[in-house]
Amino acid sequence: MLRRLATGDREAVAELYDRHAARVLGLAYRIVRNSSDAEDVVQEVFSQAWRTAPNYEASRGTVAGWLLMMARTRAIDRVRARQARRDAGVEPDPETTPSTAASVPEQIIANQQTARIRGAMADLPVEQRTALELAYFEGLTQSEIAERLQIPLGTVKTRIRSALVFLRRSVRS
Amino acid sequence: MTMERHAEIADRLEAYALDQLPVLERREVEEHLQQCATCAKDVHELRAVLAGVAETVPPVAPPAALRDRVLSGVAMEAQEPVRRERRVGIVQQPRRPLSAMVPWAAAAIVVLAVSAVAFKLIDQSRRELADQVSRVQALNAELGQRLELFRGQTDLALSILTSGDMREIPLDGRDNAVAAEARAFLSPTRGLLLVADRMPEPPPGRIYQVWIIEGNVPVSAGLLGEEAGGRGMLIATPPRPGGGGSVTVAITDEPPGGLPAPSGTIRLAGSI
Repeated sequence: MLRRLATGDREAVAELYDRHAARVLGLAYRIVRNSSDAEDVVQEVFSQAWRTAPNYEASRGTVAGWLLMMARTRAIDRVRARQARRDAGVEPDPETTPSTAASVPEQIIANQQTARIRGAMADLPVEQRTALELAYFEGLTQSEIAERLQIPLGTVKTRIRSALVFLRRSVRS
Repeated sequence: MTMERHAEIADRLEAYALDQLPVLERREVEEHLQQCATCAKDVHELRAVLAGVAETVPPVAPPAALRDRVLSGVAMEAQEPVRRERRVGIVQQPRRPLSAMVPWAAAAIVVLAVSAVAFKLIDQSRRELADQVSRVQALNAELGQRLELFRGQTDLALSILTSGDMREIPLDGRDNAVAAEARAFLSPTRGLLLVADRMPEPPPGRIYQVWIIEGNVPVSAGLLGEEAGGRGMLIATPPRPGGGGSVTVAITDEPPGGLPAPSGTIRLAGSI
């Protein structure tokens, strides 16, 4: 399908959307906590996917991983912009819940690897999971996490590293 | 590569995969990844795990209207071309010696754009600010993409200019291009950086194409900017491995999109 997308087949975008939009929206919503911003992120991600498909490199990971990586970057940018607005004294957009119920289409039910990572995330010591979530879902740097959690920078590093080592091991096993 | 260097980079791979590194450190890691298969594999695995973390988030069924919005948005957008060379078109900048302008051109454009945005923000009242912010967000997204492109170009330009095998080749204009001034910086391992100034308009329906000629065989290095009429720049990866012997860099006019071999008049050329 990606080959069709890369050669300018616009119908392939519809297929790509049907297959991945719910995951992209889920992640965007998890990060921006606002359904209208999250929907904007979805639109930006698929438009970026369309534009950049001719230069997509399969060696960089799966299509879902590629879309989710774009979604994460864009969603975090939005959160930062919102933060800047808040710092400038402008009222932020309210947090809203998604306007539609979270019914999950068949094709996006978690695969085995996702199930393993989800299990492993649940098994992570809470302090490691918190550090990883702040880094991944909130896009905080290590020093920002240290400040937020009031812990030394070295500890942040260790926690994130241990969490990722644990998750990698769980995927391999 | 020393073991200490490797260990120092390996220590930052998690932060790199999480996009937590400042630009300069990120570039250091990226350079290292080009040479170190172990670290490259680590990053690949870390990215796969992080994609897995993203997939643990429960999906949310999108509203039907969003599908239409996405698809109609895409219907109006063009795809970017397959990346073979990196190039930019005409660069608007105060005149400075050509050799000095190159590394700063990309940075200057970004700084100007960001300053313009910042100035606007300061100048607005709060209520107007909220309005501006949404526009800025869109601009920001676009700037982000441009910045990424410029970053790649600046990196390549710097790596060409600082390469030990770089040779500088002044190009002389001919015919209607005698007033033009161009200079090529050619590194057989890093690529070609060519800057041109006071270029005449190309003939109607033609564009400028840059060639590297070694042993009488011209190879296209890329296009110089379809609008011409002034300043142009081409930054390209090496079109083929060069031997470091005598070489000619030439600019000809060709049909839009360029040709695999030159067909038009040579407007500028220089040899070493």
